[in-house]
Amino acid sequence: METARKVSESSLTLAIDIGILDLKKAEFYETPGGFTGLRYEGKDYDRIILRRALPIGHPMEYISVADKDNKEIGIIRSLAELSEEQYAIVAAELESRYYSPTVHEIKSVKDKLGYVYMELVIGRDGAKYAKNCAVKDVSRNIRMLDDDRLAIFDVDGNRYIIQSLSGLDKKSLKRLEPYLF
Amino acid sequence: MNTHKFYYDLDLTMKPVDGVLTFDERGQICSRIGGNELLSISAENINEVAVLPGVGCGLLLSKMKDGSEILLCRFTMSYMRAAGEFSKVVNFYVQTKQYAAPDEEERPVCEKCSRPLVEGMSVCIFCYNRIGVLKRALQLMRPFAGKIIPAELFMTVSSVLYLLVPLFSRIIIDEHLRPMKGTFQQLLLLAGAMFLARALGEVIFILSSRVFNEASIQYANHLRNLAYEKIQKLSLGSLSKRTPGDLIRRVMEDTTTVKEFISDGGRWAVEQTIIFLVVFIILLLTNYKLTLLVFLPVPVVSIALSRFWRFIHIRYERQWRKNSKCQGILHDIIKGIRTVKSFGKEDMEIEKFAKATRELAEVSSDNETLWARLFPSLTFFTGIGEFLVLYYGGYRILDGTLSFGVLVQFTMYITYIYAPLRWFVSFPRWLADAMTSMVKIFEILDEEPDIKSIPEPKNVPLAGKIAFEGVTFGYKSYEPVLRDINLEIKPGEMIGIVGRSGAGKSTMINLLMRLYDPVQGRIRINGIDIRDMSPEYLHENIGVVFQDTFLFAGTIYDNIAYGKPGATPAEVIAAAKAANAHDFIMQTADGYNTIIGESGHSISGGERQRLAIARAIIKNPSILILDEATSSLDVETESIIQDSLNRIVQGRTTIAIAHRLSTLKNADRLIVLENGRIAESGTHVELLKKRGIYYRLVMAQRQTSRLAESG
Repeated sequence: METARKVSESSLTLAIDIGILDLKKAEFYETPGGFTGLRYEGKDYDRIILRRALPIGHPMEYISVADKDNKEIGIIRSLAELSEEQYAIVAAELESRYYSPTVHEIKSVKDKLGYVYMELVIGRDGAKYAKNCAVKDVSRNIRMLDDDRLAIFDVDGNRYIIQSLSGLDKKSLKRLEPYLF
Repeated sequence: MNTHKFYYDLDLTMKPVDGVLTFDERGQICSRIGGNELLSISAENINEVAVLPGVGCGLLLSKMKDGSEILLCRFTMSYMRAAGEFSKVVNFYVQTKQYAAPDEEERPVCEKCSRPLVEGMSVCIFCYNRIGVLKRALQLMRPFAGKIIPAELFMTVSSVLYLLVPLFSRIIIDEHLRPMKGTFQQLLLLAGAMFLARALGEVIFILSSRVFNEASIQYANHLRNLAYEKIQKLSLGSLSKRTPGDLIRRVMEDTTTVKEFISDGGRWAVEQTIIFLVVFIILLLTNYKLTLLVFLPVPVVSIALSRFWRFIHIRYERQWRKNSKCQGILHDIIKGIRTVKSFGKEDMEIEKFAKATRELAEVSSDNETLWARLFPSLTFFTGIGEFLVLYYGGYRILDGTLSFGVLVQFTMYITYIYAPLRWFVSFPRWLADAMTSMVKIFEILDEEPDIKSIPEPKNVPLAGKIAFEGVTFGYKSYEPVLRDINLEIKPGEMIGIVGRSGAGKSTMINLLMRLYDPVQGRIRINGIDIRDMSPEYLHENIGVVFQDTFLFAGTIYDNIAYGKPGATPAEVIAAAKAANAHDFIMQTADGYNTIIGESGHSISGGERQRLAIARAIIKNPSILILDEATSSLDVETESIIQDSLNRIVQGRTTIAIAHRLSTLKNADRLIVLENGRIAESGTHVELLKKRGIYYRLVMAQRQTSRLAESG
């Protein structure tokens, strides 16, 4: 079964070129204006847009690279294939496009007029700070990403991630528990 | 000096900061974090400032005249709207060299607590005036007060009548049975009085609750109609801020919640409070020491009950969610059963459903076990008062300082004290749910339509020149869809709008129909700004056919006449003939009386489209809009419809959007939209000669059709 799947998969990827970038020919660089650019096959793209094809399961693989008019230039199969210096540039660009700080603590949860209002302690790269947010329609907007990770989407469109539900302190977990389904 | 400020919250490396971007009337943009100036740019060198949304964040960038781009700042999604406002102010300056007065409020905040208002809410979820909301709900109840208040009074009287029973019991025991001096007649009289009190209570209760329920249903209907009327009057812009599900919930579920609160919660609140007070007074007058014993455990029992119900509520809520997940899966699979079967995925779907039902069964079983364990303890706990009264009362009887009848009366009244406690502790939740629903209904009722009719509209005939003058518009303030559109359409002209998906074609006609108002610029018909006409007049005189035709459940006749209520049969048939629909209608057994819609006669896509055309032209509109009216049809059906359209558009100003460029070959002029701007304009031949965007679109389509033909 597994062999059959591999055969059909490989025949499909042979027939359809998904446009994997030849990273030997690619050079990512920081533009003077504060963006990320790419030199590839003799062309210079002065602002590229990076998008994760599988942001939840494989955030560092299958990264679509598009020019500033949103036309896809190609796909990076894995960031691991990049040199250390190139990796840093691409990873930084991805980090600035996907902003989902980690929730370290849930200070309070209040049900008000159909909204769940949360006082969170969130952070990225070691820094921690307080953030209040309102969540509507909790069954959709508080959801498990996998067995232990949870995402909270607030009404403004911000997203917060609990990296490990089992690692959350008891009080926070107790406050959140009524909304975990 | 006037300065527009945009406060942002992320630095360029995505660390939280308190930054500010300013734009002053000299046209200077400055970015500062703390006291440090990070950049300073003059608007003289700028082409445009744009907002680029990311995932959970966004950025503002400046497109410079030399072709370079500069990152101005980054921010979280909470600042997205303010960023859009900032870009609007700068872009207006770039285009006009005029500094527009900045909007006063970047994001509405609560006047009381200064918290930003939750997106989609016009009241603060923390500080809304609860008494005010309740008062308003009661004011709306005024037309039904004539029934509700007397019914409530009678229901309370019936409850008080029940309270007489323990009193009679005491009299029977203490004055007739214990001294062994009562006569049979006296007992019969007292027992009869007890019976009468109960029977009368029941009769009054049945009659008054009937009246009460009727009035509360009328009240709910009244609320529902008010909300529905308001929804019909709101603009598409206001409505699209909410999902259809949200609106349906407000009209149906929220009004039902309010009705239930009034008919059950509110009614019980009044009744039980009165009973509680009456019992308290009777007990106090009878024996104050025993009364204190009865009330001693009340605070403890209340707290315990409140905790218990909260705990149980969370568990049952989880069970409810699991149940709705099962229903969701079932609904999805049954709807898509054809796909499941054609992919041979029945086993996978069986397993998926089995997993969901297994989870539901586990949660349900856990809850039932918990309930079975906890409920007896709860009953035992709430009976503590009874034990105390029995012990102390018994002791006092043996002591000879208390009569047996008084003890019986107390034990009977205990149920009147403890039974409502369970209800009282869940009342706050009940009230909170009703408040939520009331606020949501009032939000709809209070919403100011953003497309307003002016008091004295200038409803001039629409058979004149249409002019788009510097029109800029975006559904979200930070994402302009149309930019600086200038276009003149002569009376009777047929204009074709072409362009890629998302170029702004449908937005142009949405603005012409005044479903939205432009952010900048204006649209004039016959020299009059369409904002000076009444929207109803405009809609009556514009005929429109969309790609996704919506036909209402009803007869073909009703669907065509929808465009002109009161149309004569001759008009309906004429419209159908003009739309090439008459022949297929006559093939059906019931002709124009054929019922269509979900449970009615099924009709094809081409037939639906022809009915939509008939519906649009029955009102003989001066302006006809065809928004991809034939896109979803095959070439043969399209040519039949095109035939009818060619006849209909004669003498009318027509604006047609089509992906299939051959559809527009008869247009007098074609407008090519690219990224929200008019990129090209001219006849089919002129544009082909130009070898620009239109030429490329035509070539690409020719290639596709050649491929299709050779295939």
